[in-house]
Amino acid sequence: MVSLARKNLFHDRLRFVITVAGVAFAVTLVLVQVGLFMGLLDKSTVTIQHANADLWITSHNTPNVDFARTFPETAVLRARSVPGVARADNLIVAFMTIQLPNGAAEGALVYALEDFASWNLPWNVQQGSPADLKRGYALLMDRSAALRYGAFSVGEQREILGRRFRIVGTTAEAASFTTTPIVFMDYRNAQELQEQLGGNTTYVLVRLAPGADARAVQSELRRRLPYNDVLTREEWALQSRNYWVKSTGLGMSMGVTVFLGILVGIVIVAQTLYTSAVEHIKEFGTVKAIGGSNLAIYRILGEQALVAAVIGFALGACISYLVRPLMAAIHLNVLLSPGFSAVVFAGTVLMCLGAALFSFRRVAGIDPALVFRT
Amino acid sequence: MNDRVLAVRDVTKLFDEGRQRVHVLRGITMDVAAGELVALEGPSGSGKTTLLSIMGCILTPTSGELLVAGRAVRSRDEATLREVRRQSIGFVFQQYNLFPALSALENVEYSLNVRGTGGRAAHAEAKRVLARVGVEDRLDFLPRDLSGGQKQRVAIARALAGSPPVLLADEPTANLDTATGGQILDLFQELAKREGRGVLVVTHDPKVRRVADRVVGIRDGRLADAGDEEAAA
Repeated sequence: MVSLARKNLFHDRLRFVITVAGVAFAVTLVLVQVGLFMGLLDKSTVTIQHANADLWITSHNTPNVDFARTFPETAVLRARSVPGVARADNLIVAFMTIQLPNGAAEGALVYALEDFASWNLPWNVQQGSPADLKRGYALLMDRSAALRYGAFSVGEQREILGRRFRIVGTTAEAASFTTTPIVFMDYRNAQELQEQLGGNTTYVLVRLAPGADARAVQSELRRRLPYNDVLTREEWALQSRNYWVKSTGLGMSMGVTVFLGILVGIVIVAQTLYTSAVEHIKEFGTVKAIGGSNLAIYRILGEQALVAAVIGFALGACISYLVRPLMAAIHLNVLLSPGFSAVVFAGTVLMCLGAALFSFRRVAGIDPALVFRT
Repeated sequence: MNDRVLAVRDVTKLFDEGRQRVHVLRGITMDVAAGELVALEGPSGSGKTTLLSIMGCILTPTSGELLVAGRAVRSRDEATLREVRRQSIGFVFQQYNLFPALSALENVEYSLNVRGTGGRAAHAEAKRVLARVGVEDRLDFLPRDLSGGQKQRVAIARALAGSPPVLLADEPTANLDTATGGQILDLFQELAKREGRGVLVVTHDPKVRRVADRVVGIRDGRLADAGDEEAAA
């Protein structure tokens, strides 16, 4: 079968390039912007995802994992006594001030546990070992901290809240949503640094016994700890993400960006398809005169929109995937999953077909008698 | 008459132009037999293109009857008219109306696709009709690379594709030089005589009289020799 749609599309190369560029621009904008957004959100829950805790016990209404609030550390004892709990440990997450060699003070997000290895924290140790954190005032510092703190190396010392700590190792991927670097230290050391942490914790991590019913254990923990929230890993991650999406306006800003990207795509595709339809009006009249229906013409426009969508998406996706390593070099994670890419592809097809609808109205009223007009 | 492939009986056509009603056709009766080449002549505004559009099932008459390939076309429904066009009528236009992005072969093949023939059958039929009109050496040429005469031959091949019994041509020689126009008219005559098609050519070109079996004049929406036409019917 001869495809008049494709032949016409490729015949007018400049218009075709403009159409595809418009689609590719919209696709790139949506993929990179949403990818960056997803990357940021991923950062906001990176420790929740990596810690192998089934349940998190938090202070009431803690908005997200970074903004922790204290509660008595004895809660861990009640947690351990609940049937179905295999292990429960206190975790302190707290913002502290770190003194830099140049005299400046910076923020640090401290993660403190008694036994890091049991909870898979930190999950990507580059140098040293979490076991070394038990040896005096020691800390593991994430490599991303070099951006904020300047270069550092193992063996150097840094002062946190007036106490000198030795850097005993480095980690990777442990960066918070707020870009504040994460440092890991022993639980008792963290408690010693801040008066309000004395006898308090910020979270209790809970691991279930094999075969235990998560919902039943969660319910029992809630009953025994009425002044705390008990959340599954998924609930806690969702709550943390929702905080950043809803209360910071980030979600709205991202929605506007995606909307603008789609709008630009629709306008460009609709405009070029419509102009093309108007310019080919006599051809469409000929199609009708020789026996073609309106549906046959809609198919031509639809096929053109589909071709523009497929090629535009492929180009936009290539650009977006190529941009990833460049963004990674400046510590920005563009998270592009196959699932999300598939959603954007479906959206692109819908966008282009939607844009073609504008031309449908124009060609629907074509009088085939125009073929006799000169 | 059994050999009549195209006929109109007492056809009128009124157009509303604002508050005015314009009588474009006033009781036209004429027919075209199989194997006959009829020329329809008339000045601009006489109604010949409107008559051609009605006989080609592109326009519907305000009143009167239309017969195409022995079948009365009473329906005003676009789907029915489209089906009649698809099965029974081939059009040749003054401006050729070839698809610029399609080669000569694809232009004809696409027309066959629209008429419901696809694949190898369409490809073979397109080649056959292009050879029939003498442009078998221009199959892969785009319309822009063809001369006026070649374009018109491709347009005729497109009209012939699917073997419709009726060919309707609107000023087919208007954009051609005298020699090429003559060749195209000879081709129409051949298609009528050898293949038995009914051919109606709307024209201003006096040379058409040379090849036409009959010349029908139209003035102000009436046949100039209406008496003869009615007698013939």
